[in-house]
Amino acid sequence: MFSSLSFADDVLKEGITPATDASQVPAAAKLRTDTVIAGISEPQGIFNPYFFVNGWDENVTNVIFARLIDWDSQGKLVPGLAESWTVSPDGKTYTIKLRPNLKYSDGSALTAEDVAFTLTVLYDPKYDGDTDITLAHIAGGDDYKQGKADSVSGLKVIDPLTLQVTTTQPGATTLQKIGGPVLSKAYYGKDYQRGNLDTLRTLHGKPLGNGPYVYDKYIPGQEIRFHANKNYYRGTPPTPRFIYRVTNPSTNFQLFQTGDTDYDAFTSRPDDIEQLKLLGFANINLYGSSDYSKIEFNLHRPILQDVKVRQALIYGLDRQKLIDVVYQGYGTVAIEPIAPISWAYNTDGVNPYKFDPAQANKLLDEAGWKTGTDGIRVKDGKRLELTLLVSKKVLNDALIPIAKEDYQKIGVLLKPQVVDFNALMSQRKAGNYDLASFSTSTLNDPHDGVWDYYSTEAKEQGYNNPEVDKLINEGNATLDIEKRKPVYHELYKVLANDPPVILLGNRKILSASSARVTGFKPDIYNGLTGSLPDVKIVK
Amino acid sequence: MRNFILRRLLQTIPMLFLASLLIFMLFAKTPGDFIDGNITLTAQRAAELKALYGLDQPLLSRYLHWLGNLLQGDLGFSLQYQIPVSQLLNQYIWNSFLLATIAMVLYWGIALAVGIVSAMKPYSLFDHVVSVVIFAAMSFPTFFLCLLLIKWFAVDLHWLPVGGMTNTGSDATGWAWVMQVAAHLVLPVIALVMLQAGSLTRYFRASMLDVVRMDFIRTARAKGLRERTVIFKHALRNALLPIITLLGFELPGLFSGALITEKVFNWPGVGHIHIDSLAARDYPVLMGFTLFLAVLTILGNLIADVLYAWADPRIRVRS
Repeated sequence: MFSSLSFADDVLKEGITPATDASQVPAAAKLRTDTVIAGISEPQGIFNPYFFVNGWDENVTNVIFARLIDWDSQGKLVPGLAESWTVSPDGKTYTIKLRPNLKYSDGSALTAEDVAFTLTVLYDPKYDGDTDITLAHIAGGDDYKQGKADSVSGLKVIDPLTLQVTTTQPGATTLQKIGGPVLSKAYYGKDYQRGNLDTLRTLHGKPLGNGPYVYDKYIPGQEIRFHANKNYYRGTPPTPRFIYRVTNPSTNFQLFQTGDTDYDAFTSRPDDIEQLKLLGFANINLYGSSDYSKIEFNLHRPILQDVKVRQALIYGLDRQKLIDVVYQGYGTVAIEPIAPISWAYNTDGVNPYKFDPAQANKLLDEAGWKTGTDGIRVKDGKRLELTLLVSKKVLNDALIPIAKEDYQKIGVLLKPQVVDFNALMSQRKAGNYDLASFSTSTLNDPHDGVWDYYSTEAKEQGYNNPEVDKLINEGNATLDIEKRKPVYHELYKVLANDPPVILLGNRKILSASSARVTGFKPDIYNGLTGSLPDVKIVK
Repeated sequence: MRNFILRRLLQTIPMLFLASLLIFMLFAKTPGDFIDGNITLTAQRAAELKALYGLDQPLLSRYLHWLGNLLQGDLGFSLQYQIPVSQLLNQYIWNSFLLATIAMVLYWGIALAVGIVSAMKPYSLFDHVVSVVIFAAMSFPTFFLCLLLIKWFAVDLHWLPVGGMTNTGSDATGWAWVMQVAAHLVLPVIALVMLQAGSLTRYFRASMLDVVRMDFIRTARAKGLRERTVIFKHALRNALLPIITLLGFELPGLFSGALITEKVFNWPGVGHIHIDSLAARDYPVLMGFTLFLAVLTILGNLIADVLYAWADPRIRVRS
């Protein structure tokens, strides 16, 4: 039987476990005196921070473009290109002050005009990138989008170092939305007119940024090369050249072992960790991810509208066993829709729903579901049968047998359907499901973890709880972390009592760097690129 | 002969239209689209994006739009890579072609040689040994074989690179570049040859054996011809006829990429682009590439038919 305790002795501690024997660094790696190579999975060549489609390209743009406002390792906002910012008392007007003498890598100046240009582009009616700037509610943005105005009225350049952004409603995530990378107006905006992003698109492969490194060359499917940016605002990075090499999970360990790469991410499995330890020259980094996995209830189904049934389904699933099987000590059962590394995480008084089949049975009895002749519960002639949509991945491989067995014991017949991810999302949209299992994307702010439980966003799911709506609004209404903490704490309690989902787990991420390189200290908010300005080759 | 080729060419036109319709319907009817998979989008933004990409249009108008572009030689614009599909394929397809061509020349050569020798002396020791080796090679799972090769030759012996196409960060050109690519080619080629040569050898051997047992071979031998002449001049030519058809079908394979082998060896080929595009529902790439393969299949078939007709005049006369 698995239990969290059985791993306690040999589980690697979070943080960096230093290499035990730096002399074992492979000869091939030692030959590279001025270059650090990191592994990357599938870059697609869209090197514009507002146009890429997958997260791998984001890893590339993060090297080339610095952000206006950064995150620290707990997800709090800290100065980046912006030296400071102030928010008006009503929470609607932001005054952002840039650092003096900021430059793009070609030596041209970076000013508040560039920031205003960047935000304007995001409001373009033809803009199809991943950033949804409308959530920042900048005044006049919609008018610009609809062609009623020639500029966004809420963006005011006070002087070259100061930008004032006026919004129509307060929002805690607004600052991170407007505090992203800054595109050069002179370079990207040369021929820009509303509704015509063609010039920008032609520059996806020729990025001009202001980050720690300057883009040199992309060889599709093989590598992306950079050199240190002399105009980087935190000073020229100590390593002259940086390369992303395309690797994949089946051979990235071998590439690291032979010295072809200096840094890569691995699966946080005991076997992989053991292998890395055996290499001797690996600095092993273990850190928490900010996403969470969940099973969503379809509340349009009468069976699941009964909160007792939903609670019973949480009590009746041995989530600890699932997490232990899947993550083998490198994951925890999720209790709140936020990861334990966040400042908003606080489980005091939040129902953890410890595995309790007796409680599950009791709740189902109370809800009026009586055990039928074949062991499956029946109410008003209807059997307690639920479909579960899952996509093919490690977590779900274990979820299906565990959930089937556990639910069988409380009289619930589970019918899993394995489909691919897009099909899952499409079926979910069409409402063809009772339960659907998937994970969130990386979450930077606690608001990102709960926004889709807001009644207007949860239409497909059918979740509607006015108190949740109120608390989500409240949590998003101010930037003051100390004021937000109690709101989210309250929200998590309410969500636990009227659950929209079965929270499954929070996982940990494993990466390793070669002992010949110092300075890698990744976390989920900054990834590897956050450390790049400090990465140094040991002489 | 010219009429024959012309007639066959004309026949391919309705086939191509049918293929395009099938391909479009297949992907359009696959549940989920490019936008559905993005869980971070609000409902409003998702609707906006669908409108921008034309995914909210009725099927027929989407098909006609795609077909119209196709007829002008435009394969469309990749949603995922944000470049024209033809440009995207151009980035990867030639790497797959290089790998597949070298592997193909080798395994056809091996299969032909081994098949002939086996058929000359059926049930000899050589024939038995070959059978055992072939079945051993064929029964390896691709993934396992690739990893095993990497472990032996790259990690333990340091003879060859783990993967990729050139050394990372290398600016080599000319001959030095060729040598680098050659070194990176060795392991994936070995893997492909081991996996492919087996079935082909069996096929050649069977084909040769069939011919060797025919009356005209017995006649040739009875005339007192040397065994070598009998095999190479009389038997081989006839045994090659069914193999021409097989060769025609290899054409799309040269461009489609050896998926698992390319993936494990980080070979920058087109196979994984295809799979990624399916996962992301990048319809323009999926449809463009599948159609390209369909065209190659039809073309390969056509070439095989023409070669067959050239080798065996009876076919021309009959059609």
